[in-house]
Amino acid sequence: MPPSADTAATGAPAPAAPDAGPGGSDGGLRLSSLTKRYANGFTAVHDLDLDVPRGSFIALLGPSGCGKTTTLRMVAGLEVPTSGRITLAGQDITDRRAHQRPVNTVFQNYALFPHLDIYENVAFGLRRRKVRDVESKVRAMLELVELDSQARKRPAQLSGGQQQRVALARALINEPEVLLLDEPLGALDLKLRRSMQIEIKRIQVEVGLTFMHVTHDQEEAMTMADTVAVMNGGVIEQLGAPAELYENPRSTFVANFLGQSNLIEGRVLSRSADVTTLDMHGITVSVPTARTHTDGDRGWIGIRPEKVLIGEEGADLDAPGNTVPGGVVSDVSFVGVSTQYLVRMPWGQELQVFSQNTGRTRMFTVGEKVELSWRPEYAFCLDINQDAAAGVDDGETR
Amino acid sequence: MAPEDQAPARRSTLSRRGLLRGGGAVAAAGLSVAALKLPFFSVAGAAQDPATCRATDLSERERRLVISNWTGYIDPRRNPRGTYNTFQDTTGITVEYNDDVNDNAEFYAKVRNQLGSCEPIDRDMIVLTDWMAARMIGLGWIQPLERERVPRLHENLIDSLRGKAWDPDRTYSAPWQSGLTGIAYNAAYVDEVGSFSELLTRSDLKGRITLLTEMRDTMGFMLKVVGAEPEDFTEDEWYDAIDALNRAVSDGQLRQFAGNNYLQQLANGDIVACEAWSGDVIQAQYDNPDIKFVVPEEGLSLWSDNMLVPNLATHQANAEAWIDYYYEPEVAARLAAWVNYICPVEGAREAMEQVDASLVDNPLIFPDEEFLADTWDFMPLDDRQSQQYEGDWSDATVG
Amino acid sequence: MTQAAQAVPETATLAAEPSGSRRRRGRTGYLLMLPATLWLLLFFVVPFYSLVATSLFDASGSDFRGYEMTYAWGNYVDVVEAYWQPFLRSLWYAALATGICLVLGYVLAYAIAFKAGRWKWLLLVLVIAPFFTSFLVRTLSWQLILSDEGFVVDALQFLRVLGPDDRLLATPVAVVAGLAYNFLPFMVLPLFASLDKIDPRLVEASSDLYAHPFVGFWKVTWPLSLPGVVSGTLLTFIPAAGDYINAEFLGSTNQRVIGNVIQGQFIDANNSPVAAALSVLLMVLIVAMVLVYVRRAGTEELL
Ligand SMILES: Nc1ncnc2c1ncn2[C@@H]1O[C@H](COP(=O)(O)OP(=O)(O)OP(=O)(O)O)[C@@H](O)[C@H]1O
Ligand SMILES: [Mg+2]
Repeated sequence: MPPSADTAATGAPAPAAPDAGPGGSDGGLRLSSLTKRYANGFTAVHDLDLDVPRGSFIALLGPSGCGKTTTLRMVAGLEVPTSGRITLAGQDITDRRAHQRPVNTVFQNYALFPHLDIYENVAFGLRRRKVRDVESKVRAMLELVELDSQARKRPAQLSGGQQQRVALARALINEPEVLLLDEPLGALDLKLRRSMQIEIKRIQVEVGLTFMHVTHDQEEAMTMADTVAVMNGGVIEQLGAPAELYENPRSTFVANFLGQSNLIEGRVLSRSADVTTLDMHGITVSVPTARTHTDGDRGWIGIRPEKVLIGEEGADLDAPGNTVPGGVVSDVSFVGVSTQYLVRMPWGQELQVFSQNTGRTRMFTVGEKVELSWRPEYAFCLDINQDAAAGVDDGETR
Repeated sequence: MAPEDQAPARRSTLSRRGLLRGGGAVAAAGLSVAALKLPFFSVAGAAQDPATCRATDLSERERRLVISNWTGYIDPRRNPRGTYNTFQDTTGITVEYNDDVNDNAEFYAKVRNQLGSCEPIDRDMIVLTDWMAARMIGLGWIQPLERERVPRLHENLIDSLRGKAWDPDRTYSAPWQSGLTGIAYNAAYVDEVGSFSELLTRSDLKGRITLLTEMRDTMGFMLKVVGAEPEDFTEDEWYDAIDALNRAVSDGQLRQFAGNNYLQQLANGDIVACEAWSGDVIQAQYDNPDIKFVVPEEGLSLWSDNMLVPNLATHQANAEAWIDYYYEPEVAARLAAWVNYICPVEGAREAMEQVDASLVDNPLIFPDEEFLADTWDFMPLDDRQSQQYEGDWSDATVG
Repeated sequence: MTQAAQAVPETATLAAEPSGSRRRRGRTGYLLMLPATLWLLLFFVVPFYSLVATSLFDASGSDFRGYEMTYAWGNYVDVVEAYWQPFLRSLWYAALATGICLVLGYVLAYAIAFKAGRWKWLLLVLVIAPFFTSFLVRTLSWQLILSDEGFVVDALQFLRVLGPDDRLLATPVAVVAGLAYNFLPFMVLPLFASLDKIDPRLVEASSDLYAHPFVGFWKVTWPLSLPGVVSGTLLTFIPAAGDYINAEFLGSTNQRVIGNVIQGQFIDANNSPVAAALSVLLMVLIVAMVLVYVRRAGTEELL
C-alpha cells in the first residue's frame, strides 16, 4: 500500500457541501479506523477513516471487490465492524443494531418487498416507527418520485426504473440522517441511468440529506457527488472534489482509474517552493511543487493525454512549457471531436495524445516525426514506487 | 436344524391378523367399490351355485396347485425334507404357495367381486377360519370335495372338529390347523387371571388388557360372562353381552382391541393380560417364560382354519391330494411341531414321538378329551343376523 | 433490468403471428392435458361416482341378498347421528397434529433454510429419511418409544409430568404425537421450499427500515412463507384427517377415528352403504374446509 493513501484520505480537507449546516462535519457521518475482516480471514475494509459532512453527497468509487458495499453495510448496521467506530451526528452508533440507526439504504438490487404494493413498501419504515400521517407523507413521496399513479401495484409489475424509484422513495421517506445508495443504477441501461442520476441529484438537493453513493462508474461519481472517495483494496486512496481528483491525482491508481494518464519516469533535479525540476530521459521538465506527491529522488511525471500538445518537429509552440522532441506517430484514431495519437518516444515509451479538432492544426499520420509539449502547471509527479499500471484495467472496464 | 430356521417365520410372528391388514384393506375396499355397477342401479346378490360355477379339472395334465394360506403357517419350505418339498417330490405336483391371507374379512373383500360374479380368483385352495368358511360355503362359492379322494381326512380328523353345523360331514372343508382362544397373562407383573370376568373387572388390570378383534372369539366370551351360551343365544342375550363390552370400554378397563403384536405388548409390559390365541402364546413362551396361557373358567373357544376349494379352481384333484397328504399322521406331526397350533389329525400325537418328543404332552397341541370338554363354538349366524351383529361389533370396537 | 429490450421482439413476434397458430397452440394444450384427464376420470371420477352410488343403497342389503338402489339419502343422516363423535375426533386430532407440525416444522424449515449453511441438503435428506421405511413400521416403532416401560414414560414420570400410573400409549397424546411425527415431512418440505426462496436481503431491508427482527419476521418472512404454510398445512391436515393407522396402533378404543369406522364398516361389518356414505361425507367435509381455508388465506394473491 502506498503510505500516502491513508494520509491523503484523512488529510484532505473535505470540500464544503452546498448547504452544509453550521455543525460542519460534526453533524455528519464519521468513520474512524474502520476495519472489516470476514470470517474467512479476508480483510475487505482496512483501517478506513472518512468524514462526511451533513448534507453532502459523497460517492464511493472503486473497482469491484474493493470494499464499497462492505463499508455501506457497516454504516447501515448490517455488518459488524471488526474494529473502529462509526459516529453519526456526534453519537457513536457502532453498537446500535440496524433497526435502531437513522440510516436507510437503497439496495444494489432494490430488495423491494414483493408481497406489499408500492404504497406499503414506501410506508414500511413510517409504520415501523409509528409515525403519524402516513397517508399524506407517502402520497407526497410518491409524487416526488412520480409514481403516484402506481401506488397499488406490486413491485413485479413495475419497470426497472420505476422499481429503482420505489426503492429510493422507501428509503427517503424516513428522512434518515444518511441515505446509503449501493449502486442503485447498476442494472439500468445507459439512458435511464443518466436520467436517474439527474433525478437523484435533484432530490438530494431538494431534501438536503446526506447521501453516500456507491458506484464503480467514475462518470456517475463525478457528475453526482460533491466529494468522491476513490477506494482500492479496502482503503481510500484519495478523497476530494471530482475536478480536484482528476486534475491532481495523488497516486498512480487514481491517475489511471479516473480517466487516463501518461506516466513517465523522471529524476528529481531540484525542488523549490514553487516547482520541482526533473530530468525526464534527458529532457528537463518542471512540475508545480503543490502537485508533486513524492519525496524521493525519482518520480512518475504524469500528464493527461488531452493536456499534451502535438506539433511539427521544431515548430513554435503556442505556449511555453515542457517540450519533448523526438516523437514518432505510431497510431492515429480519429473520433470526431478529437484525434487520439500514440506517439513513440525516443526512450521507447508510447504516450497518448488527445488533440481537439479545432482545425488550427493539421492531422498527423503514422510515421511522422512530431514534438510534444505541455504546460508545467498541468503535470503532476507521483511516487516511483507505485505501479504505473495500477487501476488501468479497472478504469477501463467501466 | 439351522438356527435361523428355528426362530421366526412362524405364523405367530405376525399373528392371525397380519401387520399389513390396513393398507391392503383400503386398497381392496377402493377396488371393490370401483367395480360396483356404474349407473345408479341395484346390485344383485353375490350368491352362486357351485354346481354350475365350476371349471374343468386340469389336474391330470397340469401337475400344479395354487394355494393361499396365512403367513408363517407351514414348516420352512426351503427345507428339502420338509412337508412341502416331500409333497412335491412324491406327487410330482408343483405347488405355488402364497402366504397372502392376513385376515378373514380382508381376504373376503379381496375376492368378493370375482367369486360373487362367478369369475376365477386363480387359486385352487384358500385357508379361512370357520365363520368365514361358513359364509363362503353359504354363498355357494366353495366346491364340494370328492369324498374318495380325501379318505384320510374322514378317517383321521379328530372328533372335536367333526359335526360342525355349517359343514357337518366335512363336504366342503378340511381343517388345516386348529387353535384355542383363552387368556394369556404376564406372570412377571400380575397374578394368574383365571376367568374372563376377572379380566374385565380386576382393578390391577385396568387399562392394561386387550381383547381380540375377532368378533366370534371375543363375543363368545362376553356371552359367557353374561351367562349366555355362545352356541345358542337370543338377541337379548347378545345385546347384554354388547352392553357388557361397552362398559368395559368406557370404564377404561380395556386398552385396545388387538389383532396383531398384542403378545409383544404383553411381553414388554404395556399390557399385563389379554385374550389370546394358543399358538401365539406357545411361540411367545420360547422367548419369555413369564407369559402363561390360561384356560378361563368360561371355557375355551375352539376354532380351526379350513382348506377350501373355491369355485372355478382348475386343479381340484391336486388340491385334494394335498389335503389327503396332510392328513397322514406323520406329516401332520411334522407340521404341528413347527406351527405349534392344535393338530387336527388323529394319530399325529403318536407320530410326534419321532419328531419332537417334548411336544407330545403339550395340551395346546394335543389337547385331551378333558381339556376339550369345555370348548365351545360360536352359533352359526344367518345373513341378517351376521350383518346386524357384525355392525354392532364394529360400532362397539370402533365407535 | 432489460425489460424494455425484451419487450420489443416479443410484441413483434406476437403481432407477426397468424391467428391460426394460436389456435394450434390451444389444441396442443388440450392434448397435453389429455393423459392427466383420462387418469383422473378413470381413477377418481369413476370410483367416486360408484362410491356415491353405493352410499345410496338400501343399508339393509348384504352381499348375500344384493343391494337395492333406494336413493337412501337417510344413510347420511344415520351416519352423522351414529358417528359424529369419531368424525369430530378425526378433525380435532388432525388439527392438533397440523398445529404441532406447523410450529415444529416452521422452526426446522427456517433453521435449514437460513442457518444450516452447507449442512442444508444433508438435513433435508434427514427430514425425508423416515420415508425410506414403511409407514406401518414407523408407527409401530412409536409403540415401543411410548411404551409404558419405555424411557419416554420413565423420564416423564421422573419429571413428575406423568403420575406413576399414567401412560402415553393408548391415549390421545400418543395418537396426535404419532400423526405429527408421521406427517411432519409433508409440512417441512413445502415450508422449506418457500423459506429458501426468500431473499435474505429482504430481511436486511426490513431491519434497515426500523423493523425489530421479530417485526421483520412477522412482516416479511412470514407473509412470504405463506404459500408454504398453506400447502404444508393442507398436505398435513388432509391425510391426517383420513389416517387411522395411528389411532389403531397408538390409541385405545376411545381414540378411534373416522378412518377406523370406515374400515370397520367396509371390512368387518361388510356394510358398504354406510362405509360409502361416511367416505363421501369425509371427502366433502375436507374439500369444503380446504376451500374455505384457501379462500381465507388468500393464497391466490401471493406472488
Ligand atoms: N461475507 C463475506 N465473506 C467473505 N468475504 C466477503 C464477504 N462479503 C464480501 N466479501 C469480500 O470482500 C470484498 C469486498 O466486497 P464488497 O461487496 O464490499 O465489494 P464492492 O466494492 O461492493 O464490489 P462490487 O462493486 O462488485 O459490488 C470482496 O473481495 C468480497 O469477495
Ligand atoms: Mg457492492
